[in-house]
Amino acid sequence: MDLKWTPMRWPTDWQDPSALALLKPTCVNYLVVEKTPVLDAVVAQAKTNGIEVGEAAAPPAEVTILQGEWPGVKLSPSGAKDVASAGPTGAPWVDSNGWKIRLTAAIQPDKTIWVYAAPKESQASRESYRMALADAGVSGGRWIISLDKHLVAAIGAGNPDALQTWDTISRAAGFMASHTSWSNYTPQAVVGVLSDFTGPNELNGTETLNLLARANEQYQIIPKNKASVSSFQGLRAVLYADADPPTADLKKEVIAFVEEGGMLIAGPNWGALPGRPAKYDDHPRYASRLLGKGKVQIAKADVDDPYVFANDAVILVSHRHDLVRFWNGGALESFLTVSPDRTRTLLQMIFFARELNGRVSAGGPEAASVRVVGRYRRAKLWTLDQSSPIDVQMDFEKDAVELHLPPISEYAAVELEV
Amino acid sequence: MGEDCTRRRWLLRTAAAASGAYLGSARPVRAASAPATPVAVAKCKTYAAAELLPALNQMFDQLGGLARIVRGKTVALKINLTGSPTYRVGYLPLGDTHYTNPHMLAATVHLIGRAGARRIRILESPWSSSDPVEESLLQANWEPRDILNAAANVEFENTNCLGRGNKYVRFKVPFGGYMFPAYDLNHSYLDCDVFVSMAKLKEHETVGVTLSMKNCFGLAPCSIYGSNAGVDEPNEQAKGGRGLLHGGNRQPAKSSPPELDPKSPRWPGYRVPRIVVDLVAARPVDLAIVDGIRALAGGEGPWAPGIKPVRPGVLVAGTNPVNTDAVCMSIMGLDPMTDRGTPPFKKSNSDNMLRLAEDAGLGTRDLKRIEVIGTPVKDALFNYAAACEPAPRPSNA
Repeated sequence: MDLKWTPMRWPTDWQDPSALALLKPTCVNYLVVEKTPVLDAVVAQAKTNGIEVGEAAAPPAEVTILQGEWPGVKLSPSGAKDVASAGPTGAPWVDSNGWKIRLTAAIQPDKTIWVYAAPKESQASRESYRMALADAGVSGGRWIISLDKHLVAAIGAGNPDALQTWDTISRAAGFMASHTSWSNYTPQAVVGVLSDFTGPNELNGTETLNLLARANEQYQIIPKNKASVSSFQGLRAVLYADADPPTADLKKEVIAFVEEGGMLIAGPNWGALPGRPAKYDDHPRYASRLLGKGKVQIAKADVDDPYVFANDAVILVSHRHDLVRFWNGGALESFLTVSPDRTRTLLQMIFFARELNGRVSAGGPEAASVRVVGRYRRAKLWTLDQSSPIDVQMDFEKDAVELHLPPISEYAAVELEV
Repeated sequence: MGEDCTRRRWLLRTAAAASGAYLGSARPVRAASAPATPVAVAKCKTYAAAELLPALNQMFDQLGGLARIVRGKTVALKINLTGSPTYRVGYLPLGDTHYTNPHMLAATVHLIGRAGARRIRILESPWSSSDPVEESLLQANWEPRDILNAAANVEFENTNCLGRGNKYVRFKVPFGGYMFPAYDLNHSYLDCDVFVSMAKLKEHETVGVTLSMKNCFGLAPCSIYGSNAGVDEPNEQAKGGRGLLHGGNRQPAKSSPPELDPKSPRWPGYRVPRIVVDLVAARPVDLAIVDGIRALAGGEGPWAPGIKPVRPGVLVAGTNPVNTDAVCMSIMGLDPMTDRGTPPFKKSNSDNMLRLAEDAGLGTRDLKRIEVIGTPVKDALFNYAAACEPAPRPSNA
């Protein structure tokens, strides 16, 4: 994955090459343009300035462009929780591209992933732009900076407020560009989702990823055709909900993982049941079996509700094995990774909505705490508003640390030193 | 579904305590002879075992001894885990504000076990969950094993659903009920010899105060009485809270008894106090324990505006929840004899559930009739209203 580019969709209305001056103090170094002669002068000048240019239909060979969602939450104007726009628990529904980026990266590990997601509103807020950048950046992708029509016109007119918004966007993009090494960190996961994520398995597989993220469970994506014994290393459980059973070789590897103490959580299509029935088996939806040092949980009926499947998996594995635990985080997504030399653990967090006095609103939390498993000697907090990190005090537990975060906006990262 | 529960033992006990008049009446009567039992109060500043265990032990001795109540018995202990385990008041651990404190629970379980209980089942209907209670505790950053190992034969059960039972149990309200004639509850509320309500010393946004009686609101399973309850049958995967009970926008699952009067007021300040009293009458409390070591003023959880963490440093226990709650209110600087329109029932615009309970003959709220043992109320007093007042601005002079 090569994150050398920070791409931007160049507004067709900016036809004067002098507009390229906006990019000078920024890290934007690739323009996605419409194929139209009105932009010929801009394209020529951009190339002269050392900025690469390409059409959306023809990105660089090493890039895959995903059609994404504008990240954020659907909120009711009143801020009430139990509304039609909410998820099954009444929690606000979150749109995020994280799982999509990670899935594409798992299937095409040599590709750099860009996300195309245009603002939903005619006048998006600064916060939502920062969120778009963070939402893609956290998972190792890059959001193609796309401005709403109002902002395009206002910047073009030299509106100071609009230029301030542009500055906010470019600073956030600059933050992501200055931390490209983080994309080489290894994800830390509790569960692995094993699937081919295509055809009849696409909906279940992809929604399971999305909903595991909502449940704040750290997950690993294991495409079936790339699975091996090493894919399961460090996991507590493997989830399998594909309509067809795995191949004999893959089954053998998963069984070996279970026998060594892991857990398999699978739909009834797994096939012949391994192990022996567990003595205490009172789950309403799963039959529990023992196999070696591990357990097998087989769904009693077809897995047709990814929400139930994902949340059942979290409980079957148990919160005892949470790698990350939040309080007052609101609607968030987190991604835990570790540096190649294992001296630094990185927790990146996106905060989509918060709850204050029983009301839900967009924005980050005022007083969130997070617990991270591991033993650390120092914690540093990065946000989009700071050029350098600040130290965060840690409360030490037996095998974990708890951090009390200051008020945070859309994004923060905690870097923990072993 | 459901199984009619023999209420003979409870009816007889209630009849012995009250005058016989109300037994013959289908409506609650103002019971001047509603039970009055001693309530123990102890000062306790911390949850450290060295201080907490002796304080609890002394209170139980003052009430006649725990062994008398629990020896050889199955004890069901309803705790108070209100709201999501991931929602704190600021950075404070949940047990320091609006949740049952884990040290308090472990200490109580230890003492109950030491007093000879045969089995201890810890019950709760955690927010929006039909999963094992242990999972909610882990999310709150507790270690459930500390509780499970505090005595022999300890277990948890989620009473938001069937749990380990295979049917709900129908608990009839002896006096006929204010809101419902009967409630279908998890089997654990029947499968016990002793029922303990363990609460925090808190005010409540909807009903003024939440103490040992209001803790029993959580007996009602969300599968039947929740916002997401089943229409015809219970929904064993119900999420959310008990909005149906609060606002009466719909009836419970049809398999359970509907409201007595669907035309009665729909506002929570009317409904919730009455439902609480119904539940306490249907499933009487044998031992009420209220933790005021660290608690919350101004509301029952972090979602309530104007809340403030407080440290009253006090414990209260009694064998009658109405008596116990009345003493708790006095310790909080509140008058248990007031009603809607006066604090703490003014902000909540609610009826006083203690008055409703007294009218139903469950217990008196009249402090003149309740003997307080141990620390006098005046020495335990902690003014909750004052705790929530904004700090005075410094003078410019």
